[in-house]
Amino acid sequence: MEPWPPVDDAGLGAELRAALWDAGEVPEEHLRAARAAFAWRTVDAELTLAELVFDSACEAGAAGPTRSAGSARNLSFRGGPIMLEIEVSAAGIVGQLCPADGGRISARTANGTYDETSVDAVGLFSLGVPPPGPVQLHARAGGVTVVTDWVCLR
Amino acid sequence: MVTEHSTTALVTAAARGDESAWAELVRRYTPLVYSVIRSHDLGGADAADVNQTVWLRLVEHLDQVRKPEALAAWLAVTTRRECYRMSRLGRRTQPVDPSDGALDGYDGSSAAPDEDLLRTERRQALREGFAQLPPRCQELLSLLTADPPLSYREAADRLGVPIGSIGPTQARCLRRLRDCPALAPYLGLRPSNGTKGGDRDGAVAAGR
Repeated sequence: MEPWPPVDDAGLGAELRAALWDAGEVPEEHLRAARAAFAWRTVDAELTLAELVFDSACEAGAAGPTRSAGSARNLSFRGGPIMLEIEVSAAGIVGQLCPADGGRISARTANGTYDETSVDAVGLFSLGVPPPGPVQLHARAGGVTVVTDWVCLR
Repeated sequence: MVTEHSTTALVTAAARGDESAWAELVRRYTPLVYSVIRSHDLGGADAADVNQTVWLRLVEHLDQVRKPEALAAWLAVTTRRECYRMSRLGRRTQPVDPSDGALDGYDGSSAAPDEDLLRTERRQALREGFAQLPPRCQELLSLLTADPPLSYREAADRLGVPIGSIGPTQARCLRRLRDCPALAPYLGLRPSNGTKGGDRDGAVAAGR
């Protein structure tokens, strides 16, 4: 019996190759979705990407966040001076965009926009229940365009 | 030929809008993303959603992957994080309908579950170790383990280093991989030789 990890470099290299590249046959659906993701590349140089900085679902000790007794899930996105916070519940999405400057916000899946609404004077907005799968919010306010990181909301 | 380009060149080209470069990145790296997803026991719609999230996320971050040679690590970390998020959502994974095929290929239905599990754990440990290596090591080991693997000469050209440095650098990187904490639970361990992996269970449990 040989020890593991292999003591010889060739053996370890072969194991690494298998680990990195032999994942079995990647489902065609995964390949198709990965290729299609490129269509969502945004070319707007003025675009601000608001990255996901907080998700209550991933906090240590949090109870199962969805489906359980109406508990809501909170997420925060930040990009430069822009902060976007949302609460996702069975009733849909409510959120706030800071700094507030009116404007419009839409929510989209990889299949396209599923809801769009206006942002009020203090930055509040509400959107419908997100479909399963990754969702991205897209806001235009005061000459600024913001998109969030894609994230599964339910 | 797009297929001969380095990951760095592909990331740069994709960030400029070259769809064929993106397709090549997908071809090269979906196995890595998929293997991380599988190691988290996600299947079906959950696995597909994590995969789609990771690639959509990468599209937005192409301009910001400052060290494209670290793409493999970025993908591994992002995929692992999204698998964790999905597991916390606990939505469609349970109960699993055995007839939907979601578990095909990586659960107890296989002939040698202990060996499969051991192999899966070891591969995951290697991927975690790989993700902790310095970017230069990741780039070099990616090139030398690619399919088909690059020669030392090609790897040296790709990295812009003397060919004489490739061998020693590879040895140093493999040594770092062997010594990384992710592999510690396995060190000195022998493969199951009919004892049903009792040693393995103990060692792995100790490492967690």
